[in-house]
Amino acid sequence: MPVYVDVLRCIGCKACEVACKREHNGKPHIAVLPAEGRAAVPLLCHHCKDATCALVCYSGALTTDGDRVSFDAAKCTGCGICALACPFGVIWSDKLAHKCDLCYPAELPSCVATCPAQALSTDYDVVSRRVRYKAAQASVIEGKRSI
Amino acid sequence: MPRSTVSTVCPYCAVGCGLQITTERGVATGIEYNPQHPVSHGALCPKGNASLEVINNKDRLTFPMKKVGDIWARISWEEALDLVGQRLSKALRDWGPESLGFLASSKCTNEENYLIEKLARTIGSRNVDNCARLCHAPSVVGLNRSLGAAGMTNPIPDLANSRCIFIIGSNLAENHPVITQWIHRAKDAGAVVIVADPRYTPTAWLADIFLQIRPGTDVALLNAMARLIIDEGWIDEKFIAARTTGYTGLVEALKGCSAEWAEGICGIPAQRIFQSAEAYALSPASSIVYSMGITQHTTGTDNVQALANLALICGQLGREGTGVLPLRGQNNVQGACDMGALAEFYPGYRPADDPATVESFSMAWDAQSLPLGRGLTAPEMIDGANDGRIKAMYIVGEDPVNSESNSRHVKEALSSLEFLVVQDIFMTSTSQLADLVLPAACWAEKEGTFTSTERRVQWTNLAVRPPGEARSDLWIVCEVANRMGLNFDYAGAEEVLSEINRTVPAYRGVTRSRLNATGIIWPCPNQDHPGTPILHIEAFKTMDGRGRILPVSFRHPAEGPSDEFPFTLTTGRIAVHHNAGSMTRRSPSLAEREPEPFAEINPMDARRLGISQGEMVNVTTARGMMEALARISERVPSGVVFMPFHFPGANILTSGARDEVAGIPEFKVAACNIARRD
Repeated sequence: MPVYVDVLRCIGCKACEVACKREHNGKPHIAVLPAEGRAAVPLLCHHCKDATCALVCYSGALTTDGDRVSFDAAKCTGCGICALACPFGVIWSDKLAHKCDLCYPAELPSCVATCPAQALSTDYDVVSRRVRYKAAQASVIEGKRSI
Repeated sequence: MPRSTVSTVCPYCAVGCGLQITTERGVATGIEYNPQHPVSHGALCPKGNASLEVINNKDRLTFPMKKVGDIWARISWEEALDLVGQRLSKALRDWGPESLGFLASSKCTNEENYLIEKLARTIGSRNVDNCARLCHAPSVVGLNRSLGAAGMTNPIPDLANSRCIFIIGSNLAENHPVITQWIHRAKDAGAVVIVADPRYTPTAWLADIFLQIRPGTDVALLNAMARLIIDEGWIDEKFIAARTTGYTGLVEALKGCSAEWAEGICGIPAQRIFQSAEAYALSPASSIVYSMGITQHTTGTDNVQALANLALICGQLGREGTGVLPLRGQNNVQGACDMGALAEFYPGYRPADDPATVESFSMAWDAQSLPLGRGLTAPEMIDGANDGRIKAMYIVGEDPVNSESNSRHVKEALSSLEFLVVQDIFMTSTSQLADLVLPAACWAEKEGTFTSTERRVQWTNLAVRPPGEARSDLWIVCEVANRMGLNFDYAGAEEVLSEINRTVPAYRGVTRSRLNATGIIWPCPNQDHPGTPILHIEAFKTMDGRGRILPVSFRHPAEGPSDEFPFTLTTGRIAVHHNAGSMTRRSPSLAEREPEPFAEINPMDARRLGISQGEMVNVTTARGMMEALARISERVPSGVVFMPFHFPGANILTSGARDEVAGIPEFKVAACNIARRD
């Protein structure tokens, strides 16, 4: 299960970046982008169903594996074509490609575990559930936010 | 070799997040998250996530050093401790106990702080203080006056029960990020969040109502809110009658404080002040969260009392989801104050000017000639060093050169001391001025208790051994005390804690055996007491049990904009750095994210001055000049410049003006100018 982002919650503190960097020997897979000082957006691999990175990876290092796009460092040639193919710009490469591995085999990715604002989740429904809950509440109290 | 996981408490801010360190072969190699922790639920901010970089840092001090000419010479512990003992004893003999100054540390454990203040007072010096003076001294004074207790009234997780959260002068999303999850929970349940700040901070992103206030005008806003609440009849009459005194005086004092008057002073539309007052007063449970934006002013104590007045007239105290919540800045600043490392209090906030206090501690410590009366505060000790009243100082884990306002003055003062010994984990701008530097253990290399901002006392364990010859502050302080003829014979933190159990009533039941994974929230008067998460449920801690409504009137900050210095400089913290930066600037994964000092400038001002994004600018005040990168941003309003104080130099700029009652310097407002560096 990939990591889902609730942009309304992110406070741009970069705890996820620092945690990810620590867990991956100094090569982080997540980046928090500030948006004009009004919001911040954590960017990381979406683990696409039809993953273009896996499609273009001729060495077989990137493959779709159930819910995730897995990466086998031993097969990576460091060519960097995956970084070009990724529609979200979240793969980078030095002599090796670097992308989110969901902290496999840990139960929970470290970015999700550490997020101080609970803006990251592995539950795909959590963001829409929060919005639905608020809307439902508003309709109960005469269309107004409660006080 | 065994791999193990050890529970510690994060060494940065005062949220008190659980931090589990994995060690392999005696080296800290990883962090595990603890979803069971009552406050953090496994979360850590970037600083907590990077904390191993402090333990394993190559800059750590690993042996005692003496300054010989301009060079630091390595010496043995024996020699170092003898030297401290001799020099402090000499100062004591030649100039008397009042010539000695002690700075305890909000980074050290309760046990260590207790011993430092015990050392100071047992040798007869009243001059002991800690950096709480620079953050929450006005809370200690103001809340003690109004409510009879200075701590947070309600615990952090209780914010989830609030239906209106009024955050003023706190950028908690950057400075206490882990608290954000509790604000989100309250919002999910429909709470209204009001944020008052001069800057549009990430905390303001959480706001339903954002009040962009002019720096230093908080009293005007709070008085106008109180006046509206009274005029509109939103007060809690029953609460006022049953539990407070002084209400009629407040009504009288607020006569001139209309919302329109406040709009003129604060720059906040009267309509928004009205909305905020209504939301705060009428919600079933409202809480006030504040921090340095309230306290670091010449009107700091007034600001705190104005907040307490709001809570008292609305009856928003003593219940779930209510309260006044001062967020502390450092992991153990609450504990250092509880332990009496303050100029005006013995342990347990027993007033230093009360003969009964002295008598009771003379008995408890079996000590003669304990000093009576308030000592010099941290900034006053610096003044004292400057004018020769203070001859020798023992500074533990603090960097006043970078953390106090008007650094140049601090530097001159400390340089003029006869003897300065500094105990720290890194070399700092302050220890550079010392005669002797003692290497200390960091949080993960010792055990003891830390008290978080919500009064939660937690036990932290030793995960790894200190590097080289570094020793725990507890060991060092005991050794120094013994060399001054005292008998500090403690086997370890546990033994000191049991003495604290006897001498500090609020900690009586906080014994080692009871401190499990969740800690205990004081007051905890006996062994069977579960702790007291919510204060003031039945009565306030004042003498008559009633909350005191103490009217305050608006005063302008000490420095207003002038022709020479037309901008208002305000300082603060950012998410990836901490205080004077001696730890975070040395952590590569934090420093690379914010490597350099910057100054936030509004785009309109930048255009007028021809300043472009990322260019070096000079920021000048009456006290000095500092270079910083220009960061042009609409976060700050026109006329205001923001700088983080984590980089050496920011406090060269800040003003030395102090709150008369609490002694805190006005870090948040200074008149400045900003110019291109041509």
